[in-house]
Amino acid sequence: MRLLTHNMLACNVKGVVNGYPLRLEAEVVAERPADFNADFLRHIFARIDWKAFVGAARSLPEEHAVADLPEDAEPSMLASEDFLRRFHHALLELHVEKGALVCPETGRRFAIDKGIPNMLLNEDEV
Amino acid sequence: MHRRYSARGGGCARVLDKLRMKPELPGEGATRVIPADAATVSCRRPESAWSQHRRSKKKFVHHVYDAIAPHFSATRFARWPKVAAFLGSLPRGSLVLDAGCGNGKYLGVNADCLFLGCDISAPLVNICASRGHEVLVADALAFPSVLGRRRKAVEELVRVVRRGGHVLITVWAVEQEDQSLLAKWTPLGPKYDEEWVNASAAPQPRSPSSALSLESIPEAHEHPPARWVSGPSPSLIPSKGIIGDAEKPDGPRAEGTEMGLPDDDVEQQEYFVPWHLPYHRAEVGGASAAIASGFAKKDDQKGAVVYNRYYHVFKEGELQRLVAGIEDAVVADQFYDKSNWCIVLQKT
Repeated sequence: MRLLTHNMLACNVKGVVNGYPLRLEAEVVAERPADFNADFLRHIFARIDWKAFVGAARSLPEEHAVADLPEDAEPSMLASEDFLRRFHHALLELHVEKGALVCPETGRRFAIDKGIPNMLLNEDEV
Repeated sequence: MHRRYSARGGGCARVLDKLRMKPELPGEGATRVIPADAATVSCRRPESAWSQHRRSKKKFVHHVYDAIAPHFSATRFARWPKVAAFLGSLPRGSLVLDAGCGNGKYLGVNADCLFLGCDISAPLVNICASRGHEVLVADALAFPSVLGRRRKAVEELVRVVRRGGHVLITVWAVEQEDQSLLAKWTPLGPKYDEEWVNASAAPQPRSPSSALSLESIPEAHEHPPARWVSGPSPSLIPSKGIIGDAEKPDGPRAEGTEMGLPDDDVEQQEYFVPWHLPYHRAEVGGASAAIASGFAKKDDQKGAVVYNRYYHVFKEGELQRLVAGIEDAVVADQFYDKSNWCIVLQKT
């Protein structure tokens, strides 16, 4: 599961008011190269919740934790190739293979296994 | 793909809602939804129509797709031309959610876009992941009520794409290109009772674990037995898209009966569509349990285990009527593609 996907997921347990962002608990992280696509990065930048993205990137286990992303990001930064490369790496090349997504409100855990988050809910949570 | 309950007893989770995707799904959101639905099977305990539906859905949809996943996947690679064209037409850098992605045959079709797939069948999702796709397990749709779930499904899709984003919905058509196909399907109704209900009425060893046994269908109370199965009737089309049935004028409706009684000239739209799992492919262990419990049948002539998948197929215009009521979207395109009615909505 990429941090891009994490950026879009939220908890939807019945009664949850704001289940976003999900706290990321990454146990196993893999790094896999992905094609660099500046168009995509510029297009997606405007739609990323930067705070949630950086929070997740910094929460990764040390050897993968991302330290070179600014606290806040401005569109002007997209002009810098270096920034795009760092953005690309954290957004698309880090894969959480095992871990959990935790609802900020209820603490409900959604397991990530084999890189796949399981977002199904129990019948009483719907 | 959407409206299925996890065989693992998970509740229904609107993939988009469960995912509670942020209202503005980034990028040129385009979603394809594959709902699946289940015929009704009731049990002695007076269950609410809702939970009956969930139980039956689990069986006739989830268990089936989980059981046939590898085989289904291996035979599902052809991409429908207009769906592929739609995906190809998306602006560079778009983000595409394939809700109900099955084995992921559309994932990655446009190299300039990033694809995210989801499906309720973990075995199918695992197949997509093994092919390097970004996927998650989720039920794309959860519906508060038995009626109107198709409408809710469409609203959910429109909710998660950004303004100007597109939603493509494709569903199986009553008007199949190869009309002979229909003869191979089991129309739900009288034939269903005879083959599935009465056949299973014979005394069966009731082992507590055989949660899968079929039991009789409750008679519709104040209505003469409907031509289609009464009770929490299916309303979504399990094939590649979601759709609700037309919002017919509300006659008195038994709780859970779908859209009141069909009038006589309504064509047959509810079917069991068989899936033939060749013996050599059927993990015999699993298949034999399914056969024992009446959930699947052996066809020695064809040397295959036959699973039945529930389908509601849509008539021409049914899709248009469904989406007509959606406020924040307009119809951008509609077409017929490989025995499917398709419609493209654009969020306003």
